[in-house]
Amino acid sequence: MVFFLQQCLIGLTNGALVAMVALGYTMVYGIIRLINFAHGDLIMLGACLALTLVSVLGMAAWTGTATWLGVALLVLLCGLFCGGLNVAVDRLVYRPLRNAPKLAPLVSAIGVSFIFMNLGLFWLGPADRSFPELLPATNLLAGEGLQFTAKDLLVIVVVVPLMIALSVLVKTTRLGKAMRAVSQDPTAAALVGIDVDRVIAATFFVGGFLGGAASVIYGLYINTIGFQMGFQNGLYAFTAAVLGGIGSIPGAVVGGLVIGLVRALSSAYVGERWAGAIVFAILIVILVFRPEGLLGRGTKEKV
Amino acid sequence: MPLLEVRDLEAGYGPIRALDRVSLDVEDGELVALIGANGAGKTTLLMAISGVVPPRSGSIRFAGSPLAAAKPHEVMRLGIGHAPEGRRIFPRLTVRENLELGGFMQTDRAKLSRDIDEACGLFPVLGERMDQLGGTLSGGEQQMLAIARALVGHPRLLLLDEPSLGLAPLIVAKVFEVIASLSARGISVLLVEQNARAALKLAHRGYVLETGRITLTGSGAELAADRRVRDAYLGEG
Ligand SMILES: Nc1ncnc2c1ncn2[C@@H]1O[C@H](COP(=O)(O)OP(=O)(O)O)[C@@H](O)[C@H]1O
Ligand SMILES: [Mg+2]
Repeated sequence: MVFFLQQCLIGLTNGALVAMVALGYTMVYGIIRLINFAHGDLIMLGACLALTLVSVLGMAAWTGTATWLGVALLVLLCGLFCGGLNVAVDRLVYRPLRNAPKLAPLVSAIGVSFIFMNLGLFWLGPADRSFPELLPATNLLAGEGLQFTAKDLLVIVVVVPLMIALSVLVKTTRLGKAMRAVSQDPTAAALVGIDVDRVIAATFFVGGFLGGAASVIYGLYINTIGFQMGFQNGLYAFTAAVLGGIGSIPGAVVGGLVIGLVRALSSAYVGERWAGAIVFAILIVILVFRPEGLLGRGTKEKV
Repeated sequence: MPLLEVRDLEAGYGPIRALDRVSLDVEDGELVALIGANGAGKTTLLMAISGVVPPRSGSIRFAGSPLAAAKPHEVMRLGIGHAPEGRRIFPRLTVRENLELGGFMQTDRAKLSRDIDEACGLFPVLGERMDQLGGTLSGGEQQMLAIARALVGHPRLLLLDEPSLGLAPLIVAKVFEVIASLSARGISVLLVEQNARAALKLAHRGYVLETGRITLTGSGAELAADRRVRDAYLGEG
């Protein structure tokens, strides 16, 4: 039983990480119907910055509260960095293609992905780099049973507040209402006085910020980063977004958690090397029966 | 100087030339009808005024300022409201949220909520549906929502694109009644209609658009009496 719960905990923390990245895919897709292939690599660059900051600040020597404050600073800086970079890419690459055939921005996104990967190669070098263990691996729970370490706590204290903030932003604020309006009908949104390009830029920023925060957790939790990490992590996150229903914010969260759980449980009970295959097999089965994803809407096109 | 002044406007889509040197005025307080067959370019003209379709040449001035290069949100902020063809309300936002977006420029929440109440005063049924999703409204209710949404921002000029399209006769009468009352309150209206009879009856002046060109203009009564208009648009002859 403890073993099972332990695997679930691992699955949920990994899944929360996947969900943070999936949100970036789903928000951009929701607002301009673009699968932003570069999103995974954006997060890789976030992780590069996090590693650089950790070494420049000498954070490995920090302890206690200083470490936690340092982590908060990393989340903030990497979030701003990835958010800003995402906005810049939208401005320079996707915005000029807004009225072009759909394939043009898609191919450009693949191009941006390669550019980012090369930047990462430059920044990190070709080999994987280890990310310092800033948080102690000691169990925070009493007894010999379930292991719950500072790293697990980290995921919760970063992810939960950010998701709550995102939900408040989208549901209640003027910007959030404008985002939902643009995603439903950009022309009608412009006709009520919404600056559509700004709302799209804000969406890229928010998606990028969440990705930047995820990149910090990734470094601190997985402890290995490399210039190719964007591809695999991006693929899982994109899968999570599709599984939950691409364009749906709660869908990305549910999709991420489901994928994290399935991956952890199949690694534990079936074998590590089957985990990927099982995740995608489940994805295919779900999409056969619910093509719109778990929480997605029907994909009826507007008439 | 007219409130809206369109001069020699040309616009189109790729090789299609949808507007061919169109000139049209709307004076302050006037209700102007624009009639024409399907595909004549009526929607394109309204979209060009709103900045959605970029003009290729010619000029548009509103309240003295040139609009030709303005983006839609800039145009709307100058005091134009646009209830587009097909209504285009936000289907997955509530009626209240749709109306709040109509007042997107209004950042004073108390003022916004008064503006919404005021717009709903014209269409009491919307007041009963505030928390319902826009997409669940009937066609007539959606049209009312589209007009109310365009009114929340207190436009000086209201662009209405086929507000009676696909509605039951009783609802059509209600919609025209509201348009008349808006006009009576001094809001300038540019009304695009296939229902030429009702539109010309209401309008101070009208224009006939045929394959991108203005072919006739005159007072509402003159146009309604014109042989060519009667033959082509009023189903007589
Ligand atoms: N988005 C578009 N792309 C290409 N052609 C269009 C588009 N919208 C309208 N048209 C063409 O422009 C012309 C004018 O259309 P429109 O302005 O919609 O006319 P109306 O509103 O009078 O029915 C038509 O020939 C129509 O086929
Ligand atoms: Mg039309």
